[in-house]
Amino acid sequence: MGKRKSQLPFYLLFSLVLLAAMLGCSMLGAVRFDWHEMWQSPIFLNLRLPRIVLSVLVGAALSVCGAAYQSIFRNPLTDPYVLGISSGASLGAAIAILLGLEAYLLGIGACALLAGLLTIVVVYRIASIGNRMHTTTLLLTGVCLTFLFSALISFLMVLHHDKMDNIIFWTMGSFASATWPDVAIVAPVVVVGICVVLFYCRDLNLLLAGSETAKSLGVEVERVKKVLLLVTTLMVAFCVATCGVIGFVGLVVPHCIRLVCGPDNRRIVPYAIIFGGLFLLLCDTLSRTVLAPAELPVGSLTALVGAPLFIHLLYRNKKSY
Amino acid sequence: MIALQNLSCSFGDKVILSHLDVRLDDGGFYAVMGANGSGKTTLLRLVAGLLTPQEGAVMLDGTNVLHYTARQLAQRMAFVRQHPHTDFEFSAFETVLMGRNPYQHRLQNESEADWQIVEQSLRLTNTWHLRFSKPNQMSGGELQRVIIARALAQQTPILLLDEPLSNLDIAHQFEILDLLRRINREQHKTILLVIHDLNMAWQYCDRLLLLHQGGILYQGPTHQGLTPHNIATVFHVQATLTGDNIQLSPIHSS
Repeated sequence: MGKRKSQLPFYLLFSLVLLAAMLGCSMLGAVRFDWHEMWQSPIFLNLRLPRIVLSVLVGAALSVCGAAYQSIFRNPLTDPYVLGISSGASLGAAIAILLGLEAYLLGIGACALLAGLLTIVVVYRIASIGNRMHTTTLLLTGVCLTFLFSALISFLMVLHHDKMDNIIFWTMGSFASATWPDVAIVAPVVVVGICVVLFYCRDLNLLLAGSETAKSLGVEVERVKKVLLLVTTLMVAFCVATCGVIGFVGLVVPHCIRLVCGPDNRRIVPYAIIFGGLFLLLCDTLSRTVLAPAELPVGSLTALVGAPLFIHLLYRNKKSY
Repeated sequence: MIALQNLSCSFGDKVILSHLDVRLDDGGFYAVMGANGSGKTTLLRLVAGLLTPQEGAVMLDGTNVLHYTARQLAQRMAFVRQHPHTDFEFSAFETVLMGRNPYQHRLQNESEADWQIVEQSLRLTNTWHLRFSKPNQMSGGELQRVIIARALAQQTPILLLDEPLSNLDIAHQFEILDLLRRINREQHKTILLVIHDLNMAWQYCDRLLLLHQGGILYQGPTHQGLTPHNIATVFHVQATLTGDNIQLSPIHSS
């Protein structure tokens, strides 16, 4: 048995691929640019470039959060969307808008964070009744909460017709209104969040063996879970606050990576950063180019890929029990 | 040295263990025995610091186990749980490597020594040939031996095993017991073994903890504890001793 091979060359290679894709995608769209004029165009610099950067950041964040949730809940079927955290955060964002905070991303983010944290506490409490977290309980809890939150959001929308458009935006994800200030707030949250998750990668591996086993192998289980749930919910909340609910990214990306390089989170998380960014970048580029100048909601594209995969996983999971 | 002091534990209204006082000497090979539901697993979980007792404490070298950090505790005792299970597929080698976690620093890779210890542990449990196997490619017994290898890789002075033999065929049961006796004698590890087979306990374990109705019915040398009277009280079977063999037959109550 040889030593664990360093993945560094691969990380660098794929990071370059991601950069190239970012450049390539930024040239595509309703308005096309060539290389020279692009760097002078305000459309490119102020609309398209922040959109590209934001989609990569959000894709990376959602994928890393998905990988973390899958280890914490010991279940490959979880991601921020399936667990209802994204919907919870979008309800928080909707409430923030009704409170008149729509001009402040930090205010919306804070409300989304509070609602997201409440959701994760409820999910975690319900799912950890008994010793082992059951897939069914976990998924049903997430689905029910999503129903509850969309009902509440519809209710809020009926009560406040005037702000309906703003709220609808949060229930169907889109990067169409991405700006540099958005990037400036989301980027630090995502970068710090991802660093924290990277720091706890080995603990995530051990958590897969179960809380008690992890503890007897030297993991401060309660503390690690608390820190990671807080940090991941923070990332999800700020992603939702800027670009709305985009489902299944955290499910699809870690799953595909796991197929290729196994269950070790010390590899999955770095690859999830790169390929999560790439995945959402490509989805967003498709969503704005396929029917240009009209746009598809990017959330519907990710769901087109994610939902069938989810059903496939559920089917396979069911067979193994 | 482990000392249980006035230890009580209950789940809801159900009292599992009440007011236990036990001293476990270093280097002892203890059989933990009792009927189903007598609190053997609970006792092990309390010793491992995984449960908080309602009353009393488990003292390890004079300090409450609950006051150790998870890392410190994992360097002192390893715990082999009943029914190991995971949905994610680490190979046997990677699984055993996790036993080195309490000695590794974050963000640091495994050292040469870690790799040697893992190989050694796999060879000791006769699972080296399974090193690339995933859990779903192994039988229950093979997985159980890999989990024991992980506990050995932790290189702790104390080893807690909760029914580690229940998935194994008879040949592997003896193989594991021989291995445990060897590390007990050569490395002076303290071993707490939950075991059901009276004859195996008689043969291998020098000390016995007999649990009955939430209390300790007997603690001391195994050969003096496995009396027909104690066996009848705890297991409701009739025992006759012939040489080194315990013969069991059901008690026919009228």
